[in-house]
Amino acid sequence: MYNIFSLIFKYVFIVIIYLFILSIIRLIYLDIKGIDTAPLDDSSYLKLVNKKDTLPFKVKEYYHLADEAYLGRGKDNEIMIKDPYISKKHLRIVKDEGDYYLEDLNSANGTYLNGDKIMDVAQLKNGDRIRIGQVEFLYVGRE
Amino acid sequence: MMNKKVSYKLPRNLLVLFELMALLLLFIYDKDNLDKLTIIYGITLIFIVYISNFILLRISTGDSYIFLIVTMLISIGVIMIYRIDPLLGIKQVLWIGMGIIIFFITYFFFKKIKGWEEWIWLYGISSIILFIMTLLLGTRTKGSINWITIGRFGFQPSEIIKILAIFLISSYYANYEKYKEKKYGPYYLMGIMYIFIMFLFLQRDLGAVLIFYSLFLALQFIYEENRKLVLYNLLIFIVSGTLGYFIFPHVKIRFETWLNPWKYIDNKGYQITQSLFAIAEGGFFGTGIGLGYPDFIPEVHTDFIFSAICEEMGIFTGIGIIMLFLILVYRGFKIAIKQEIKFYRIVALGISILFGIQSFIIFGGVLKMIPLTGITIPFVSYGGSSMLSSFIALGILQVASEELDFEVEKDG
Repeated sequence: MYNIFSLIFKYVFIVIIYLFILSIIRLIYLDIKGIDTAPLDDSSYLKLVNKKDTLPFKVKEYYHLADEAYLGRGKDNEIMIKDPYISKKHLRIVKDEGDYYLEDLNSANGTYLNGDKIMDVAQLKNGDRIRIGQVEFLYVGRE
Repeated sequence: MMNKKVSYKLPRNLLVLFELMALLLLFIYDKDNLDKLTIIYGITLIFIVYISNFILLRISTGDSYIFLIVTMLISIGVIMIYRIDPLLGIKQVLWIGMGIIIFFITYFFFKKIKGWEEWIWLYGISSIILFIMTLLLGTRTKGSINWITIGRFGFQPSEIIKILAIFLISSYYANYEKYKEKKYGPYYLMGIMYIFIMFLFLQRDLGAVLIFYSLFLALQFIYEENRKLVLYNLLIFIVSGTLGYFIFPHVKIRFETWLNPWKYIDNKGYQITQSLFAIAEGGFFGTGIGLGYPDFIPEVHTDFIFSAICEEMGIFTGIGIIMLFLILVYRGFKIAIKQEIKFYRIVALGISILFGIQSFIIFGGVLKMIPLTGITIPFVSYGGSSMLSSFIALGILQVASEELDFEVEKDG
């Protein structure tokens, strides 16, 4: 009597264990899908490329660029980064006839485009690196 | 949102169903010497597990899978232990109950108190005190001194030291900039870790040596900026491994029985060959609980529980356990990646590595993939200290999975 029970139960146990694993994997899959990954639409964006492990302030991985975007420490910027080395209004990225231009707004510590400090306005090309304060962004342009 | 809620319920209910069926089966199996207390214990355990999974979802904003995975592992383990020896099974139920309580205590305690990364000396000194206590008061079992017995209770200090060591490494690398400035700064951590490993060698606890070494190597590999140190460490690891092979007859036997256990089937290879027989006997679906002969394997309730599970519940369940550990370790890494505070990140990483390495060593050992080192499978094997320390580690991991935003809001 017990033997029959045990024989049936062993199959049921295996089925339950695998169902359990599958349901957890499904939940984790839904969880991962919910994470904000690379933007899928055609707009241009800035991607964070940082060498430091931790930063004492919050930076997002991606920033979408609209027609005009201000970056700085102040609250009225489209891209707000609370890095002490970034000025209140640090720089402006503006779209003109399909191209994006980077403009430094007399920031205290400057803006570096591919390692060179920019003086006033520079045109952005796909793959440019923009360094401000302690963070570095990669510009990804889409036509 | 609705969909999400329903699917959280599914694994929880599956777990309860599994436990209830197993309880029923075990009581039929053991119906001759069953008393009321055993039934109460069993039902209470199921209730506690269900309620804790439920509560945790409410109070913790962090990860909700790790505890669920762990409770499944525990259920499989305790079923097998009860089948092997009902008395041990009941004890294990008590340990699990205590473990869950300790999990919640650790959760609140670790969350409430801040500044864990500052107490590096405390971790180092208390570990060394525990090591010295083990050497002085320890009793020798199976060739290694790793138990302290006080009255009726014995515990293994090295289980607690594992967690202290993770804290030590984490607080070192969280304040890495500070220590780097000092003269010989990078060598401090290596020195302390080697003191730990020396103590474990003195205790002849080779399984723990392996765990500490791999834990240290893994974290050093990730966080050390001075890459030469990692290389030194690897070299020392290889040299000391080879030396250990020639110095300790203990290690030599392990290697010989790993290469060819059949030659020594009547003495030193007995355990591993019995384990292989048991796994082969079980096949894909197992013999069914109570119908196999796991008692033939020495130490079946601790180190060799995996073989017993494979025999009676099938290799599919064995693979299932390995998969559960995989998901657990994966979740741990994910928690570490998402955590923004460096100390908690390294702690989460350390704990996941600990679970991963421990299960790898023992699964590999009983399957004769790597030389056998007797350690427990976290959450599955019988053992009070192992269970409690694993639950402490899990509680810490649960805290690390939450978004902790102290010290973040500094307006500049």
